[in-house]
Amino acid sequence: MSIAVEARNLFKKYVTKKRLGLIRSVTEYVEALRGVSLNVRHGEVVGLLGPNGAGKTTTIKILSTLLLPDSGEAYVEGFDVVREADKVRERIGIMLTVEKGFYNRLTGRENLEYFGALYGIPPKILKDRIDKLLNLLELDKLGGSDRLFEEFSLGMKARLSLARALLKDPPVVFLDEPTLGLDPPSARKIRLLVKELAREGKAVLYTSHNMFEVEIVCDRIVMINKGRIVAEGSPEELKSRIPKVRALEVHLREAPNHIINTFKEMGLEVSQYSQSSEETYVLKILTKNPEEVVDDVVKVITSAGLDIVKFKLEEPTLEDVFIYFAGDSSG
Amino acid sequence: MGKTDFKQLVSVEMRFVYADVFRRKSLLLMLVLWPYMITGFVLIVGSAVGNPQAFASRVGVDPAPFFIVSSFILMSTFVVLDDIMWKPIFDEEVGTMPYIVSSPVNRLMYYIAIPLPRLTLSVVIGLTSVVPVLTLYWGFEGFITSALVLLLGIFSALTFSPLATSVAMATYTYSGESWRLMNVLRPLLMVLVGVYYPRWVMPIAMYVVTALIPPSNSVELIQRLLAGIATVERSLMLLGVATALAVAYLPLTKLSVLRWERSKLKEGVKV
Repeated sequence: MSIAVEARNLFKKYVTKKRLGLIRSVTEYVEALRGVSLNVRHGEVVGLLGPNGAGKTTTIKILSTLLLPDSGEAYVEGFDVVREADKVRERIGIMLTVEKGFYNRLTGRENLEYFGALYGIPPKILKDRIDKLLNLLELDKLGGSDRLFEEFSLGMKARLSLARALLKDPPVVFLDEPTLGLDPPSARKIRLLVKELAREGKAVLYTSHNMFEVEIVCDRIVMINKGRIVAEGSPEELKSRIPKVRALEVHLREAPNHIINTFKEMGLEVSQYSQSSEETYVLKILTKNPEEVVDDVVKVITSAGLDIVKFKLEEPTLEDVFIYFAGDSSG
Repeated sequence: MGKTDFKQLVSVEMRFVYADVFRRKSLLLMLVLWPYMITGFVLIVGSAVGNPQAFASRVGVDPAPFFIVSSFILMSTFVVLDDIMWKPIFDEEVGTMPYIVSSPVNRLMYYIAIPLPRLTLSVVIGLTSVVPVLTLYWGFEGFITSALVLLLGIFSALTFSPLATSVAMATYTYSGESWRLMNVLRPLLMVLVGVYYPRWVMPIAMYVVTALIPPSNSVELIQRLLAGIATVERSLMLLGVATALAVAYLPLTKLSVLRWERSKLKEGVKV
C-alpha cells in the first residue's frame, strides 16, 4: 500500500491574547503540536485518538490546508500542504463538524450542488454523484434531498457532511469526530461506510476520543496527547505492549470473605470485592499470568463451597493502553 | 475536475441568494419597499430643512425621481460591497468557511461571482421603483431613461466589485472580520460614490478622490442623464474611466484575497 498522507515533525503554536481589563492584554502561547509525525496508506483507516485538546483537530487542519504549521512538513498524495495547497485541495475530502457547515436555507441537494461547484465538478457528473451519495447515505429515504438543512436532524447533518467529503471521490478523506453526538443507527452507518471507503482504496484519517469506535473502525491507531504522538500501532499491537497485568473476574452467589486471605497467601492481588446489581459478589483478582493461576483460583472457590455464577478473563482495553502511554493527566 | 466553471459558480450563488429571498418572504417585501422608504424619508427630512424647488434649481432634477434613482443605485452598488463583506463573516458563522477555503475554487472568480445574483435582484427592484416613478414623471422619455438607469446601475455595481473586494479583504486581513468596521466603511463610501450628493457640486479635491472609485463615474453619468446635461463625449469618458479603473484594480483584488486567506491560514480557519 502506498503512502497517501505523511506528516513529519509538525509543530504548531497558537497565539492567544489574555485580556486584562478593557484595553490591556498579554500574549500567551499554546503549544498545540510538538513534533507530530504520522502517515496514512491507501486502503487503510488510521485513527487519531486522543482527549480533547490533544492536537487531533490541529493535525487534521494542517493536513487539509486550513492551517499553516510553524515547522515540519506534510504531504498529501506527494504534494506539500503548504506550497502545493491547490493540488492537495483537489485530492482531499473533509468532514470537520457534524452540526454545522451548510447553508440553512438550502436543501440537502442544493447544498451539495453548491460545494460541488466550488470543487469544480462538472454539472452532469455532479448530479449523478449527488444521486449516488444521497442513496448510499440513505438521505433520500430520510427526505434529506429536498428538505432545508435547518430542518435536518443531527444524524442527517452528519450524513450530508460525509456526502460532501466524498463528493469529488477523493483518494484521501479526513474525518474529524464524525460520529460525535449521533444516534446509534447514524453512527453505525458512518462507521460501516468508513470501512468501505478503505476497502475501495481510499486513505482515511479518522479522529475520535471514542476508544470503542476507533478500535472497531481503524486498522491502525495513532495516540496523541498534549501535541505529541504517544503510541502507534494496530489495536492488538498496542494492547500487547502494555504490561500483562490482567484481571480474573469471578461472580459468586455468596460473599467470599473467608477466602480472600487464602488468595493473598497464594500471592494474588484481590483488587475488588463488591456486590453487583445482579445480587452476585464480584471478585477481581489481578495477575500477570492468569492462565497459570486460574485452576488454583477455581479450586479454592469450589472447596470453600461457593457457587461460581460467571467467570471471565478481562482483556486490556484501548483505554488502558491510552492511560498507560499518556498517563492519567490526559485531560 | 478541479477547474472552476464561472457559469456554474454564478448559478449556485444564484440559487443561494434566491433561496434566501424567496424562502423568506418578509425579506422580499423589504427589498421592494426599500427605495420608496428611503425616498420618503429623504423627502420628508429635506422638506423640513429646505424646499424641493431649491434642490431642483441647484441639482437640476426634481427631488422625488432623483432620490428614487439614488436609492436604487445605492442598493445595486452597495449590494456588491455588502455581499463581499458579509460573505466571509457569514461563512465563519455557519461553519462553511473551512469547506470553501479547502476547495480548489479560483478565488478571484468566486468573489466576482458572489454579488452577481443580487444584481439580478436589483433589476427586479429597479423595475418596481425606478421604472414606474420616472415613467410617471416624464412619460415615455422617463421610461427610456429608467431603462438606461437600470443598465448603468448594474454597470456601477460590476465596476465596483474589484475595489469592494480589495477593501473588504484588506480590512479583514488587518483588523479581523467585523460587522462594526463594515458599518464605518459603508457610509464613507456612500458619500464618496456621490449617490446622494452629485459630484459636480463637490469641491474639486473631493471630486478627484471620488474619481478613483469606479462607480462614482457611472453614478455621475446617471445623474447627468436625469438632469439632462449628459453629452456623448462626457458619457463615454465616464464609462471608460469606470471600466479602466475596474480592470486596473483586478490585480489588487487577487492580491488582497490571497493575503486575507494567508492570514486566515496562519491562525487557522475556524471550524
